[in-house]
Amino acid sequence: MLRLWFDKGTLLLRGQVGTPYGKWDPRVGCYRIKAYHYRDVLEYLAESKLQVEDDVPDLSPLEQLRSNVALRDYQIEALNNWCRSRSRGVLVLPTAAGKTFIALKAIQQLKVQTLIVVPTLDLIDQWRKRIKDCLNLETGAVGGGESTLRMVTVTTYDSAFIHAEQLGNRFMLLVFDEVHHLASPGYMQIAEMYIAPYRMGLTATYERADQRHTLLSQLVGDPVYSVGVEELAGEHLAPYTYEKISVRLTPQEQQIYESQMGIFRSFLQQRRISLRNPADFQKFIMTTGRDPKAREALLARNKAVKVAVNSEAKLTALAEQLEIYRKEKILIFTLHNDLVYRISLRFLVPAITYQTSREERREILANFGNGKYPVVVTSQVLDEGVDVPDASVGLILGGTGSNREYVQRLGRLLRKKEDKLARLIEIISKETMEVSTSRRRHQKIGDAS
Amino acid sequence: MLPSDLLLVYKRKGAILPRYAKPSISNDEAANFLITAYQEHIGEKKKALKALVAELEDKGYEYRFVRALSLLLDRKSTFVCHSRADPIDLRRKIFQVTERFGVPTTSEKRQKIIESVASKMSLSIEDVEAYFYSDLDSELVLEKFSAPLASELLGEYNLSLTQTMLFDATELNFTTSGNWQNIFHAIKKFGLIYEVYKDNGLWVKIDGPASLFKLTRRYGVGIAKLLPVIVANSEWIVKAKVLWRFTNEICDFKIESQKHSTLLKKPCLTTITYDSSIEESFACQFQALTSGWLLKREPEPVSAGKQVIIPDFSLEKAGIKIYLEIVGFWTEEYLLRKIEKIKQVDVKLLLLVNEVLACEKLSALERRPQLDLIYYHDKIPFAPILRYLETEFEQVKSKEVQILRGLPIKFTEPVVAFNEFAARIGVSEEAARNFLTANIPSDYIVLADVLVSTEKLMQIGRRIKEAIDAAGKLLLKEAARIIEEEGVEDSANILAKLGYKIKWRGINSEQAEISRAV
Repeated sequence: MLRLWFDKGTLLLRGQVGTPYGKWDPRVGCYRIKAYHYRDVLEYLAESKLQVEDDVPDLSPLEQLRSNVALRDYQIEALNNWCRSRSRGVLVLPTAAGKTFIALKAIQQLKVQTLIVVPTLDLIDQWRKRIKDCLNLETGAVGGGESTLRMVTVTTYDSAFIHAEQLGNRFMLLVFDEVHHLASPGYMQIAEMYIAPYRMGLTATYERADQRHTLLSQLVGDPVYSVGVEELAGEHLAPYTYEKISVRLTPQEQQIYESQMGIFRSFLQQRRISLRNPADFQKFIMTTGRDPKAREALLARNKAVKVAVNSEAKLTALAEQLEIYRKEKILIFTLHNDLVYRISLRFLVPAITYQTSREERREILANFGNGKYPVVVTSQVLDEGVDVPDASVGLILGGTGSNREYVQRLGRLLRKKEDKLARLIEIISKETMEVSTSRRRHQKIGDAS
Repeated sequence: MLPSDLLLVYKRKGAILPRYAKPSISNDEAANFLITAYQEHIGEKKKALKALVAELEDKGYEYRFVRALSLLLDRKSTFVCHSRADPIDLRRKIFQVTERFGVPTTSEKRQKIIESVASKMSLSIEDVEAYFYSDLDSELVLEKFSAPLASELLGEYNLSLTQTMLFDATELNFTTSGNWQNIFHAIKKFGLIYEVYKDNGLWVKIDGPASLFKLTRRYGVGIAKLLPVIVANSEWIVKAKVLWRFTNEICDFKIESQKHSTLLKKPCLTTITYDSSIEESFACQFQALTSGWLLKREPEPVSAGKQVIIPDFSLEKAGIKIYLEIVGFWTEEYLLRKIEKIKQVDVKLLLLVNEVLACEKLSALERRPQLDLIYYHDKIPFAPILRYLETEFEQVKSKEVQILRGLPIKFTEPVVAFNEFAARIGVSEEAARNFLTANIPSDYIVLADVLVSTEKLMQIGRRIKEAIDAAGKLLLKEAARIIEEEGVEDSANILAKLGYKIKWRGINSEQAEISRAV
């Protein structure tokens, strides 16, 4: 009889039968098949009336779960669409629209071993807590020093990638939180090396600037449901306002800015380089690897950006805003870590960066959640996922030009709570490139979902 | 290994090579500058040290080279947080006071909060400011540093650089002079797959399970980790296919011990656990037996199809080779699989199995006499091993004789070398020699290692005589050249057979002549 088993992230089929999915591997004398064709191969063999000894899955015991999840109408529609496309596909919903609950409902309905893949360790904690609360289920976790497998297990993209050879045959459902990460060249192997026939992708920002999101159809499934911020704001999401405050660099800063930008601009002129889009810029960055002059120009530009983004004038404006919204819960976002620590030291508020230990981070977020700490300052590490229900003011002191970053930061504030009004306030330096960076991130806010 | 943004390579016409830091005045200078900087910054903050490192970048050194060296030195350093208060606890106290007083938006309000915390923790205001973020990476203080030599640092850099480039490797091919057990152990540990092939020695090709579907960098990290185990040997050639990330093209990489071994740091290998003392003591005791069998530890792997068997020992006598392996912990399935693998190759392998280390009860195995297994309890028993060896030896020999007897030995070629003949029909050279000297075919004569046809002998005799007749005398080296031209190497024996003797003139063989023996 044919035998099919799992071998380090792939399947091996022994027997004199080829399938459209396999390839003869002379190194071991068997057909080798990508793990994500598991369902396809079984279906193919069944249609061909061939019996196979299936030793592939190695599954944890199923546990009893009790669900108290009640979905809203748009969530039900999303889940139905997903079920109809053979339990595969991507759901595109704004942050705070309750993507998690749709996934939990899917787990409850399918009742299979599930791996939830998330971008950060914070999100592991958040999902585990949510699963405990809503499904009354203890979860396993892989990552951050932990390694336990349960019926429902939560892990990071990094761990799912590194341990694909060991974990690939242990789950039947994969849930990818912030699924746009999966399309990167490394992480996409997660999708290929796991057998799970059921797959759900969740994101608020489906499209990637590099167009790789088109790969997701093959890896997870097509987008099966999509709804934007505007459609849900008010009824399901908190209504929000946006305000821009422009400040003038101090004379000294202005001088440094002009001279450094001058070095950068004259280099571009000399070499007749024009930077019109991100691809142009990428090309320029590559030349800095071998051309010391180009590197000098890049460093000058970075210095200018740093001056503009981290201007002293912004801190004065920040002080005013902190005074105005002293009764609210405030998140401050910056581009650079230096500024995070400057703000933390100046205003004596807690900071979270990639250097913050996991325990301190947990403690700060918990205290921010329960209202003890009214303000948290962070660079880019909190852009994604972390859930702070009643944060209502976002102060942006700097960022990249990416629309995704903007949408994600906005998403931190949109969780609906009573009659909350969310405010996103951007403080930018006048007459610097910050103006156009800011404009760039708003360009697509209309269809930001 | 380094972060990939510090990688420096030369890439030309599809070939790729790391930009090795060769020993030179300027490279030594950079290395020494950094090593001294670290030594002098013991007790200072990391940010002061890194500022000095940045200075070196400004002096015209390639910044990726400088940063990589600094990173390697970081790994030889201990950085600690210098603070009389636990910074996390200190911050917690400050944030708690902020919670009561409200976020300070003026410096006066801020001062008040700091003062209140300082008095509560019996610290000065300056202490509170200094310790607030004293656990940040840049604020840590260099406590200990073990300084390498500049040459060691550069060697380590070159090895790390090669490994970093191999992160992007899709496959690796190598051949090397030893250390096979470590290498194959590592291949398995890193989840790689190997195939062996012969190409002027034994070559191993490395990639991974999913490499079958497309060229993938997935196994690059495993390949990079394997490199030190290979280059720890004295001789090696390493080739790789590298998928260059910026252009997405495959580039060829090749280094070899002859050219590169002095550039790369020789890693010291930790001896692996299963390379145990039991093998050591076995080797000693066996050699003391003077059994006539030549024992060799870790012989070159035996290729079994595309896989290999790496026996612990080879034992050789009169051209007959028997392999021997001491099995540690085992299960019946493990032994059966091993035996299955051995069957694929035409070699004799004796397994010494410790019953105490059995992971399950012996059952069917024990009653299979055809298996080459010897069980033992605590001491390896030499008597049964020698009995086995002698029995095998006799068996192989008599089998060989049978093979040879059955052959219609009829040669057509004028020269038959014993070793070539033995290899052709699959017997030991010894057996071939014994058989052929005992059964010399008609029209042939026997020399030390070859048979030569009488026709060939006469042909050589004719040519030598002609040469002597023409010149009146013949130098030995001239005669040897003629004999070699005729395809025979053993000129001294040929001349003796033809009835010539050598007349030496002093010790210089250039002047030696030959003459007919009287």
